Amino acid sequence: MLFSSISFLYYFLPAVLILYFIVPKNRKNTILLIASLFFYFYGEPKYVVLMILSSVSGYLHGLWIEKAKVSGNSKLPLASSIVIGFSGLLFFKYTDFFIQNTNWLFNTNIPLLRLALPIGISFYTFQILSYTIDVYRGEAKVQKNLFDFMTYVTLFPQLIAGPIVRYTTVEAELAERSHSFKLFAEGVNRFVIGLSKKVILANTLGELGKIFADSGQKTVLFYWIMSISFMLQVYFDFSGYSDMAIGLGKIFGFQFLENFNYPFIAKSVSEFWRRWHMSLGTWFRDYVYIPMGGNRGSTWKWLRNVAVVWFLTGFWHGAQWNFIIWGLYFACFLVLEKFWLNDFFKKLPSLFRRMYMFFVLTISFVIFNADRLGDGIQNLKGMFGLLKVPFTGPETMYYLRSYGLMLIIAFIGATPLAAKGVAWIKERKHGKSVMNFVEPVFHGLMLLLITGYLVDGSFNPFLYFRF
Amino acid sequence: MRERVKNIFVTVIFSLLLIGFSVANIMTPDLEFSKSERRKLKNLPEFSFQSLFSGDLFEDFEKYTLDQFVMRDFFRGVKAWSKYNVFMQKDNNRIYIIDGNVNKMEYPLDERSVIRAAEKFNEIREKYFQGKNAYVAVIPDKNYFFALGGYLSMDYEKMEQLLKKHIQGMDYIDLFYMMDQDMYYKTDIHWDQERIIPVAKGLLEAMGRDHTGDIHYEKKTLYPFHGSYYGQAAVKVEPDSLVYLTNDLLEKAKVYDYEKQTYISVYMPELFEGMDSYDVFLSGAKPLLTIENPENTSGKELILFRDSFGSSIAPLLLSGYSKVTLVDIRYVSSTILDRYLDFSQDQDVLFMYNTLAINNSAMLK
Repeated sequence: MLFSSISFLYYFLPAVLILYFIVPKNRKNTILLIASLFFYFYGEPKYVVLMILSSVSGYLHGLWIEKAKVSGNSKLPLASSIVIGFSGLLFFKYTDFFIQNTNWLFNTNIPLLRLALPIGISFYTFQILSYTIDVYRGEAKVQKNLFDFMTYVTLFPQLIAGPIVRYTTVEAELAERSHSFKLFAEGVNRFVIGLSKKVILANTLGELGKIFADSGQKTVLFYWIMSISFMLQVYFDFSGYSDMAIGLGKIFGFQFLENFNYPFIAKSVSEFWRRWHMSLGTWFRDYVYIPMGGNRGSTWKWLRNVAVVWFLTGFWHGAQWNFIIWGLYFACFLVLEKFWLNDFFKKLPSLFRRMYMFFVLTISFVIFNADRLGDGIQNLKGMFGLLKVPFTGPETMYYLRSYGLMLIIAFIGATPLAAKGVAWIKERKHGKSVMNFVEPVFHGLMLLLITGYLVDGSFNPFLYFRF
Repeated sequence: MRERVKNIFVTVIFSLLLIGFSVANIMTPDLEFSKSERRKLKNLPEFSFQSLFSGDLFEDFEKYTLDQFVMRDFFRGVKAWSKYNVFMQKDNNRIYIIDGNVNKMEYPLDERSVIRAAEKFNEIREKYFQGKNAYVAVIPDKNYFFALGGYLSMDYEKMEQLLKKHIQGMDYIDLFYMMDQDMYYKTDIHWDQERIIPVAKGLLEAMGRDHTGDIHYEKKTLYPFHGSYYGQAAVKVEPDSLVYLTNDLLEKAKVYDYEKQTYISVYMPELFEGMDSYDVFLSGAKPLLTIENPENTSGKELILFRDSFGSSIAPLLLSGYSKVTLVDIRYVSSTILDRYLDFSQDQDVLFMYNTLAINNSAMLK
């Protein structure tokens, strides 16, 4: 089920809210668990069993690790949890990738399995593993209640597209959490902002992308518009989802960590990744990069660690070479920045740094967007005038005019400008009182507008669903 | 407003909106079809374990929730309004409005489709009409005129060039220069019968039929006419009037419907309230019809291969012929026409389609 759907907004969510708030405290997790299982079943009836088995496996491994700690032999259950956890992900997500490459390398003809990817498997697998690893490290207490643990894994606000909520983040709230008008209102505001990002901005930019894909009059300018709008679409799609997840979490009394922090204002690739999909970045940092030695040791060791982490980051996004190249592309720039670019840019005005980031990121999302490597190369050629297409044309200019304001709004929305504006108004005399009235009215109107967009049937599935 | 009051206000309003619409959706009876969108609406899917576990049940339920949402037309209007007026987008689902005139951007030109249409006309002429006078005429869609205001349109010149190049043994009648933007309804794709008398005259002249003086028609008006673009526009625009032209000849004319094997009237005002008001003209989409003119004893017939535009112009062409046969090869295969029609008579043949049909000619069977 999509958050940005009528079925979620006007059937599922009101029913869950009513049930959740009328039952006594000790039954709230049960309601969330049942609701979450139904939420998953609605979109993926066949794979709900896989998710339940993964949760039970994570729960039992937690107990096993805890028990094995007494005898000092908790590595075995940890290894078991990692192997079992990853085997599901590898089987469903990566088998066909390995078969395809084996066939290509050895000229074999092994048939593909063509399995549908269980929605959210990359997210819940990483969550379960963060739990068992943290129990092993002694950073999390073992959860003895299976239903509470399953509530954590299946919690519908973050189940299918993150953020990757670590067990330690919600450990205390699973047992005891408070609800208030303040939290509820904050959650509503955040949810509506996320929904607006998704439905108004990401989907409209997605429309533009589709127009480009269908267009028979491609131009250099159109290639650029397409690439930039796709980059912004991914941002608003995914950060919108994270906003909705965080907002829903607050409504139900959970405080999830932030997942995005205006990544496009970053002045370097390393800063970008501290602002983009932060829950994934910190997961790889804490569970892969640092255990491998991080930046301690020789330069070669560091280079190896960076390469491994970014290979995995790319591969996590999808079983395609373009995602691996995408990850390694960032690794290259991280290395270049560390050894050369950071010093180089220090001597230049910050405008150059912004231009550098703009090009690096735009090209990265062209790679990200390519279904096949050839498509990505074709689009890059188009952007740099290496295809026999004119610089611009009537169709390009028409869509630039038609989507121009939306692109400007998207650009501004990707910066902290609006948030700073609101903060500035609130600091004025009576500003807070005015905003206390304006904000909810604005969000209410946005909800009605979004309903219009949804009713008209113009919505896309979330891009990050399949990752 | 104080922080605490605001928080209570937000909580209450959000809950009321969600629960209110939820209850309204459940309580409101489902509709069978949408008149504004001219389509059947999805009804609540039937439960079965098979559909439950295959995911079909929920997929159908998604469609149901969209189709049956309370105040659906209002919400579609909100979206369209915001696209035009807030986000300054030039079109909404390719629909744009100029001075209350609703238009649709139709582009790009599909050259293969144009050639396919020409080949289809050649094939039909070759099979049934060798030695007969055959003509091809293309009716421009509204976008031909209105796109000049800065919208995208297909390359009409190229379409005409391609058709002229590929048709064989047929004359091309240029309707583009006979027409202007005022000949169309404001809310519909079609031309307005009241305004296309000059086009009918032009066609008859081009086909060599004597058009003796002006024919007098009585105007009959039906209102309000919400055309096919009205629903797609989703915003409030003034509806049209549907005017049909009649006279003694058209009242007396016998129209035979081959599909239903029955006689009908040239005009069917009782269909005005149906799904498509344009069905008033010759009952709308019909594979085969003949209109007999009791006042013309020349024995000259017209075989008109046509789309829906033909329904409103055919009555105006009747004066030039003893009989007009309308063939819609979107609904009947052109390979079996001789089972129903006699092609051995003194006949002119006219292939007259609007640009959208030519650009999507796969529908011509």
